[in-house]
Amino acid sequence: MNELIVTLFALTLVKATPIIYAALGGVISERSGVINIGLEGMMAAGAFTAVVASFATHSPILGLAAGIGAGALFGYLLAFAATRFKVDQIVAGTGINLICAGGAAYGLVLLFNQPGASVQVASLGSSYWVLVVLAFALAALLQWVLYRTPWGLRIRASGENPSAVVSAGLNPLLLRTYAVILSGALAGLGGAFLSIGELNLYSDGMTAGRGFIALAAVIFGRWHPVGATVACVIFGFFEALQYVLQGQIAWLPANAMQALPYIAALIALAGVTGRVRAPAADGVPF
Amino acid sequence: MNRSSRIVAGPLGAIVLIVVLMSLAMIVAGTSPLDGFRALFVGALGGRNEIGETLVATTALLFPALGICLAFRAGLFNIGAEGQLLIGALCAGALGAVLTVPGPIGITLMLIAGAIGGGAWGAIAGWMKARFGANEIIATLMLNFVAAAFALELVSGPLKGPLAAGAETAWLDPKYWLPALLPGTRLSIALLFALALALLLQWVFARTVFGYDLRASGEAPEAARRSGINLGRLTWLALTLSGAIAGVGGATIVSGELHRFNTQLSPGYGFTAIAVALVGDLQPLWICLAAFGFGILESGGLAMQASAQVPKDAIHVIEGLIILVLAARRYVATRVEGTLP
Amino acid sequence: MEPALTLRGIRKAFPGVVAVDGVDLDLYPGEIHALVGENGAGKSTLSAIAFGELLPDAGTVTARGTVGLVHQHFELIGRLRVWQNVLLGREPHKGWRIDEAAARAQVLAIAQRNGLPIDPNAFVDTLPIGVQQRVELLRELDRDPAVLLLDEPTAALAPAEIESFFATVVQLAARGTAIMIVTHKLQEVIAYATRVTVMRHGKVVERTLTSATSIDAIARAMVGGEVPPVAARARTELTPRLHVKDLCAGRGATQLNDFFLDVRGGEIVGIAGVEGNGQSTLADALAGLIDYTGIIERSGTMGIIPQDRQREALVMNWSLVENTLLGRQHRKAARRGLELDRVRARVDTAAICERLDVRAANFDVAVRTLSGGNQQKLVVGRALIDEPQFVLAYNPTRGVDVGAAALVQSRLMEARNRGAAVLLISFELDEILALADHVIVMYRGAVLGSFDRDAFDRAAIGRLMAGSA
Repeated sequence: MNELIVTLFALTLVKATPIIYAALGGVISERSGVINIGLEGMMAAGAFTAVVASFATHSPILGLAAGIGAGALFGYLLAFAATRFKVDQIVAGTGINLICAGGAAYGLVLLFNQPGASVQVASLGSSYWVLVVLAFALAALLQWVLYRTPWGLRIRASGENPSAVVSAGLNPLLLRTYAVILSGALAGLGGAFLSIGELNLYSDGMTAGRGFIALAAVIFGRWHPVGATVACVIFGFFEALQYVLQGQIAWLPANAMQALPYIAALIALAGVTGRVRAPAADGVPF
Repeated sequence: MNRSSRIVAGPLGAIVLIVVLMSLAMIVAGTSPLDGFRALFVGALGGRNEIGETLVATTALLFPALGICLAFRAGLFNIGAEGQLLIGALCAGALGAVLTVPGPIGITLMLIAGAIGGGAWGAIAGWMKARFGANEIIATLMLNFVAAAFALELVSGPLKGPLAAGAETAWLDPKYWLPALLPGTRLSIALLFALALALLLQWVFARTVFGYDLRASGEAPEAARRSGINLGRLTWLALTLSGAIAGVGGATIVSGELHRFNTQLSPGYGFTAIAVALVGDLQPLWICLAAFGFGILESGGLAMQASAQVPKDAIHVIEGLIILVLAARRYVATRVEGTLP
Repeated sequence: MEPALTLRGIRKAFPGVVAVDGVDLDLYPGEIHALVGENGAGKSTLSAIAFGELLPDAGTVTARGTVGLVHQHFELIGRLRVWQNVLLGREPHKGWRIDEAAARAQVLAIAQRNGLPIDPNAFVDTLPIGVQQRVELLRELDRDPAVLLLDEPTAALAPAEIESFFATVVQLAARGTAIMIVTHKLQEVIAYATRVTVMRHGKVVERTLTSATSIDAIARAMVGGEVPPVAARARTELTPRLHVKDLCAGRGATQLNDFFLDVRGGEIVGIAGVEGNGQSTLADALAGLIDYTGIIERSGTMGIIPQDRQREALVMNWSLVENTLLGRQHRKAARRGLELDRVRARVDTAAICERLDVRAANFDVAVRTLSGGNQQKLVVGRALIDEPQFVLAYNPTRGVDVGAAALVQSRLMEARNRGAAVLLISFELDEILALADHVIVMYRGAVLGSFDRDAFDRAAIGRLMAGSA
């Protein structure tokens, strides 16, 4: 039984990690005033690119870097659309999700000549735990940056009232651009963790809504890095629980159990009513 | 920009963009665009059977796109059409497998079951939004995964057909099959239902009080609330209707096309439908045209993949890019029309 | 003496209109220069150009030193602290970290130097409007501006706050800051400014020392003729229409506490008060939009002119015809079966546009393309078209020019004369004193005093608005 609890605990942290990266990306982006619905796609881009780079260079470290870069690139695309063209951020994010998921599937056929999944590539192996620790460290760091540094203050100001930021002689569009690029990079890192951290390949749909679960975590965590991280651990727990219980209790409906983390996210979304307030200019083009 | 030139610039611009991007995707895949497009169009429109398959895809896209359109018009971003369609199909398939009534009644009951199933799935998100203020984008997407898990559980066990090999229900009695529209193909009269629904929605939006309230809520929620519209009620109603329309679409796939429920019955229709609705400028009649266009891509894409080695998934990349460009175009259009700051 | 700010031949056009047309302006250190004009005269555009927010199509802007701008709608961040607002972009820091102690000290120092008491640690959204403006002012003062532009700075202040605000401004000018005030309150121009520039249709039509002119002369220059008169007050029969008693609603600073009010058909009751004293809560309670306890008894039909036309009253992307139906779409008369009666809506639109002189290319253009004044007139016309027995008018002349304001006020007076009960909530005391038969002073959600028309006392009302008896 003790062994089971240890397994559950360890698995919770592992399952929470990619969501934490994406959620931190969501926090930074929304705090600057841009809703990043494209987190899901940016994770997929990170996951796929990491596999391709690892395949090409046989270096999972370079794979990781490439995954981060791919996420950042799509972050820049969203930032550009949101700041330069004042697009509806939700629509643009949805577009990015389609581009990334479709692009990865297209790339699978093109590069690996097989639909559905890539070949196996060099993965981080057992050193993936470094990324687990890093996720929690980053959450603390981001909390400090947002609340204690000039840059954090300016990012928060951009998300509350960009006109006031202009009055202060700063450019909120530039601040938002940086924040969304960082957001994409974090989501890309989360995706890379999925493909070459936990596993050693990319398969279609492997992000499985984690980008959206991360968005739910952002709301449940009240737009605080640490709060969102706690929410991610809760969601990670339910994902882990599903794996652990599947092996233990035969009569549980295995397929329905897969819905557990999503249902947890739904309940979390509904449960925070009236007690949370988004940044005032969240999602409002400027 | 005046109104007529905007209407032309919208879909026409989208078509030009699609052609350019597709060419690019074909070149990247090492095929000449000429061969690629020939494969695409021969595959989509080259014969009776091909046209039938294209229209089957058109129908399958049109229902969820119309549902999404209704929600969008109310300012609600429903990205859960995929799940709503799946649950609608599941309800229709489960009911159809056990029915013992005359054909037309059975088909009607199946379509109603689809509407109820999809509607209920949309209503969950609507209720969460209206009651708790839960973000409908995240909620509808989460419900897609719940729907998939739920459907898989049921057709792997209790609803699994006695002779079925995979996760699917029993086959329908042929009297519960929707009549064919183009004999010899899989195209059923579901296409006519979808077109009629588009006409109905066009009328609802343009002429009726309900359509007026719906559009007001989407365009200016605070002004709408002050005009006596109950926003909470409208929210769940819009998401319920949106889900019901997608659910009927799912039921027509079961009754008209596959003749059983299968968890693999939608290759992402609910997501492509978002692009269809946006390319159709949220106008039901334009959406019909957009659905036909995407229907060509869906059915021709398979042929293109087989004969020209251009991965079909390139189409999803293009859908995404079109959505991005259209979103930007809206801004450009309002800027050109411009008013004083 | 060298001017601190020089504008030469400034011209700026927007699609369809030349907002500023060949304006010269010199602003000298130590002067308080008032810039006045009707809405759309170009004064906001000119101050945006002077501040550097907007580039002119032609002309030059020369500033000797920095230029600061205090906005009419404060550019503050409610969920941040005072010091964070004031020092945003110039945060004192130790390494990567903000030095919060130094920041607070810095804000306190500027506040003390300028006689503006403030708690640097307070969250801005917990502060009253008058104190929020201090924060806005402090932010500009921290940059030690040579030129300070003030855009309608007293719009949301109580009379007492206005006095202390100008005391600060005069002190700043005495220390050599060049100050330009954009305003429409002509009493303040005469009382505090040294020079005044009057703009009309983008051009300067008059520039003079305030000691050499009068309120009437400035008003005539603004309008380009005589100010049109408001419809006359007729004798009316008074019938009970609205009875409010023990009304409690809302929460926080704008909470209503045992509010009471009676409005009878045939009279205009004015609610005088400084913005943010519960007027919106009262309007929302009367409109049935929020929960309340106490008594609200109303008989007959109601027409509402909401406070914020763009957000609360109009669908900006819709046509005039569709907008005239808003709020009226659920009436039987608006429908034919399931459909809206589009013919009737068009007839109503024509009637509204005629009665309120709404100018639009046609009835099918989006209201977004109308000027603010025409949008407001459309909203007023819609509220009155069905001849309601009770009219709730919230700042009905906000942002419209003098001629249009007179027209709106005349229509309200005519509604009163035909027997409607009119509740006028306005932040413009002059408007209330001109129109109302009865004035109620509202302060922190409660009734602080009431006056009949024959006993109006401007000074007493002003004192009550600031909360002192």
